[in-house]
Amino acid sequence: MVKLTSSDGESFDVEKDVAERSILIKNMIEDVGDDSTEIPIPNVTANVLKKVLEWCEHHKGDPAPANEDDTDARKKSTDIDEWDQKFMQVDQEMLFEIILAANYLDIKALLEVGCKTVANMIKGKTPEEIRRTFNIQNDFTPEEEAQIRRENEWAEDR
Amino acid sequence: MHGSGLLSSSPAASRPIAVSVPVLSHSPPSHSAAFPEPPTPAPSPGPFSSGFFHSQVSQSPAPTEDPYSASLANLARDFSAIARSQREALLAALLDACDTSTLSFVLAYVSPLLKKDPFRVLPNEICLRILSHIDDPKALARAAQVSRRWAAVVSDDITWKALCERLHYKKPSSEREYGSTQGQLSPPFVHTPAYADPAAFLLPQNSPNVTTTISVSSPPTSSTPLTAMPISVTSTTTHNGELSMMESTYIPVVSSNIRPRSFRTLFKQRYMVDSAWLTGGLVTARHVTTDQGVVTCLHLTRKYVVVALDNSRIHVFTSDGRLIHTLTGHVMGVWAIMPWDDTLVSGGCDRDVRVWDLKTGRCKMVLHGHTSTVRCLKMSDSRTAISGSRDASLRVWDIETGTCKHVLLGHQASVRCLEVYDDICVSGSYDTTAKVWSISRGVLLHTLAGHFSQIYALAFDGVKIATGSLDTSVRIWSAESGQCLAVLQGHTSLVGQLQMLGDTLVTGSSDGSTRVWDLKRMACVHRLAAHDNSVTTLQFDEHRIVTGGSDGRVKVWNVKTGHHIRDLPCTYEAVWRIAFEDEKVVVLASRQNRTHMEVISFAPRMQDWEL
Repeated sequence: MVKLTSSDGESFDVEKDVAERSILIKNMIEDVGDDSTEIPIPNVTANVLKKVLEWCEHHKGDPAPANEDDTDARKKSTDIDEWDQKFMQVDQEMLFEIILAANYLDIKALLEVGCKTVANMIKGKTPEEIRRTFNIQNDFTPEEEAQIRRENEWAEDR
Repeated sequence: MHGSGLLSSSPAASRPIAVSVPVLSHSPPSHSAAFPEPPTPAPSPGPFSSGFFHSQVSQSPAPTEDPYSASLANLARDFSAIARSQREALLAALLDACDTSTLSFVLAYVSPLLKKDPFRVLPNEICLRILSHIDDPKALARAAQVSRRWAAVVSDDITWKALCERLHYKKPSSEREYGSTQGQLSPPFVHTPAYADPAAFLLPQNSPNVTTTISVSSPPTSSTPLTAMPISVTSTTTHNGELSMMESTYIPVVSSNIRPRSFRTLFKQRYMVDSAWLTGGLVTARHVTTDQGVVTCLHLTRKYVVVALDNSRIHVFTSDGRLIHTLTGHVMGVWAIMPWDDTLVSGGCDRDVRVWDLKTGRCKMVLHGHTSTVRCLKMSDSRTAISGSRDASLRVWDIETGTCKHVLLGHQASVRCLEVYDDICVSGSYDTTAKVWSISRGVLLHTLAGHFSQIYALAFDGVKIATGSLDTSVRIWSAESGQCLAVLQGHTSLVGQLQMLGDTLVTGSSDGSTRVWDLKRMACVHRLAAHDNSVTTLQFDEHRIVTGGSDGRVKVWNVKTGHHIRDLPCTYEAVWRIAFEDEKVVVLASRQNRTHMEVISFAPRMQDWEL
């Protein structure tokens, strides 16, 4: 068991192989050479860490991730498995926090799932629909907007 | 009483600065009763129900004249001061007190607050990682229109580089070899300028015997929808006392000389070209001869389009389809040509091999030696030409000195086809064999025996040799050992067309079908029901196959899936030859007993290309 402490001081007792889904934590455990010490996670709050550990728990038995820049394998799996889809059904703040935490903790597979989830929220939408999805202000002047629309018309042809 | 009245206006109170909102009229009396008795258990209701607010309110400084505004301000301040669990309990109590329409107001108010712009929250490298999961250019183009920040993220070239790689869009610097014209490199992004300038129509000064009339006219009647405002040119070319008439039409609107400066621009250009291949295209040059000649050869090089006919003429066009020379000198049909840089070697029924200067259109040399029709010609370097003849021999020529270096004897019948790679030449013959020769030494290396009937076509990549025969089979041979590696069965008639690229072989047959073979497995992967009659011509690259048939159609296929993409909307009576490169197809065909040469361009038009 490993003890992790979130930025807001909450402690989590986690099985070692669950915690080691995070390369950062894995390296820290190796550096310390002692499983019993408490590992501080200063960049992640308790509610996000709890969520991330839930994902690690579910995926603890996954085979080792394929080579990092094996882009082909990465690109082909644009769809997300069902459990992960459900897992990612959280508000946007939490979704982005999970992505940031996965990036910080170096959990490649979770980072990919998070990025794919955001990508899927962008796909198939008009610019206005994307703005509504993420509550984004259109900060183009009307001239700029017309210009950028013209510049991107080529993609609309088919 | 004071406190409960305030709390009934909770939606407004959640907006801390909106203290001046007149909330009085929005306070239904029924809500006052709801607060003291929350219907759901709240975790720690103590501070609220025990007069927490009353005591705080009494201490609030400088009450304004409007007691409600003041109380609201205090409430907001107090609310933000208490612990989260307490705030949640309070809100739960308030929400429980709301009716449906108020709840939907809350929902509409709250949901945008829960949304966040990912490209503002996340660092750039994660934003780009998100975009790397979007492989639809339309989605990316739309994302670029969301906001300035999004436009900046989407414009990062790394996204477009990955997309270019995924769709095999070539880098600007890459140069590729033509499938059918060995030794001629095609630089996809180096083209002669589009002829938007009418002065460009003037024919070269060094063709003194050419008179050209240029007139801008209305479009000629045409059965094809691929027309726009053309410029017509009628040229009368006189060479050696022979007259050749050609009616020519050009459309000077296509730009194919744009150099992409980024992967995004490259992607955009290739995508537009791809789209045009799917549904667009524009006839940008059309030449109609006044006589009917059978087209025997068509070659595209980076500078020229060269066409040979059985009426002894060779027409030379610029790469975008302007006629620059008609080479006359052969006495009868021209059956083989091979361009190399600014040199052309040709041969035909008159048994001569001629060497031409494509810049001037002059014949530099006439090489005598063959005793029957020259049927095939290739070059292995800039001064070495190899010809194959109906006299059953091959000859190796030095075209600088005009000498015959070797006569390659051994075939028992007409030499029908030949291919060259480095110093190795492979010839296919009506004697049913193919032979492998050393060009420099002039010696026979292997005889490839196995076909039961005449060999009509071959392909050779330096390692593998593919032969197509009247016996309906295709054989794959090792050039090194001369061994037959495989017999590919499936066609039901003469296999007269074949091209090999890596481990992919595409064959066209008189049975009307085109087959795609995987040479790793030596198996047919696609059978395309291409044409009603013979497949007379075909070419493919890593994206597509283009076939032409004696049914007069030109068809485009997806080389990977084998799916039919389209028929080019040009109708002919018979298609003699086609050749294509990234942005254009050249079709040589007959229509109404005239020989037509058409250049169909898929390059983006100037007006569609705004950067």
